[in-house]
Amino acid sequence: MRRAPIVLAATAAGLAGVLGFHTEQQGSGLLSGLAGTGTTPTTAPKTGSTTTTSPSTGATGTTPPLASASTSTTTTTPSGTRSAVGADVQYRYGELELKVTVTGGRITAVTPVIDTAFDARSYQINSMAEPQLDSQAVQAQSANINGVSGATFTSQAYVQSLQAALDKLGIK
Amino acid sequence: MVGRASGAESAHGTALSRVHAVMGTIVSFDVRVGEAEPSSVLVALSRACARLDRADALFSTWKPNSPMSLLRSDVMPAAKAPAEIGEVLELCAVARDLSGGLFDPWRMPGGIDPTGLVKGWAADRVLAELRAVGVSGAMVSAGGDLATCGGPGPGLAWRIGVRDPWAADKVACVVESPGAVATSGVYERGEHVIDPRTGRPQAGCVSATVTGPELWLADALATGLLVGGTDSLELIEAIEGYEGYVISRTGAVAATGSFPTGR
Repeated sequence: MRRAPIVLAATAAGLAGVLGFHTEQQGSGLLSGLAGTGTTPTTAPKTGSTTTTSPSTGATGTTPPLASASTSTTTTTPSGTRSAVGADVQYRYGELELKVTVTGGRITAVTPVIDTAFDARSYQINSMAEPQLDSQAVQAQSANINGVSGATFTSQAYVQSLQAALDKLGIK
Repeated sequence: MVGRASGAESAHGTALSRVHAVMGTIVSFDVRVGEAEPSSVLVALSRACARLDRADALFSTWKPNSPMSLLRSDVMPAAKAPAEIGEVLELCAVARDLSGGLFDPWRMPGGIDPTGLVKGWAADRVLAELRAVGVSGAMVSAGGDLATCGGPGPGLAWRIGVRDPWAADKVACVVESPGAVATSGVYERGEHVIDPRTGRPQAGCVSATVTGPELWLADALATGLLVGGTDSLELIEAIEGYEGYVISRTGAVAATGSFPTGR
């Protein structure tokens, strides 16, 4: 039993690197194209939106990762800006939490709240050049979406966290 | 997992969502009730989850006593297998032939493995449950493979983002769902996608998406397209109603002519 935490720690690193989160991208993913749609990208203080962070599950290694996707929380404010934070999602190589902000029924931001990658291998992956999708494809990320395709195994917990947040927010 | 549905009033009427952990993944529902009787929609959602649980019990290759496992280990003859298994294996044969052998459950290490099709097949079936009670729209996401009917509102299509393989908070493109959107990627499975032609791990691209009217086939074809890569788009193009989209290791994107990219 004593070895279990070590195993968890070892496996909880790496995918964050594969997923390619870099600080300069935070908040710029789905947000970036919206400026052109007439929707003002917002941050919490400017719009009065309230971000509710789900209670930390502490030792997330003991939490069934998939089950945690259902515990996202949603906050609605009179201004119409809502944000939801998925519960900590632990997956094979990393750990993160998502904040999804919706203004006027559109996603204005999807931001990783926690992003940890803490072994040599993950840094190695992180340092690999990240290929760029062509400009047309990157433009499409600004669109208002109902769901996300592309997940099983390690990333499923993450994507489903985003999916669960979308569901809770009732994106129209 | 708690299976209680949560509801919200939207600009287009009542929306119900539900999340169900099954088949080693999460299945989430987004249902637009429309003119349907809300109580019958809730019943249909419960039935849908029970159906998914049954599919898991039948087809799990992880549960040693599932009918699928017994079949794989030759403990149970195919003739004695539950009817659903025969149905799925027939669909597997269709998908194998349409994919030119790039999807082939019979050539997996460890014995026959229909996993690449079962999730989509099960999602198609639960979508039918929801359609039958008259909802105006429903989206079932089975671990990132989606089956949809209707739309999120009058005249609207379900808009599905295809995950950027290098950034989970971005989408590489958006598609308007024609009924099914399935994506397979090596970002999730490492290099462990098996090329059935060689039995060895081999992926021809980092992400492959297939759209079409039904998820069982889109799911299987996406698995095959991941193996075959850009060169296999022609195979998808030849299948009526189905379109493909591939992201290569360099980030280059290729798609069939009518891939339903949204704006």
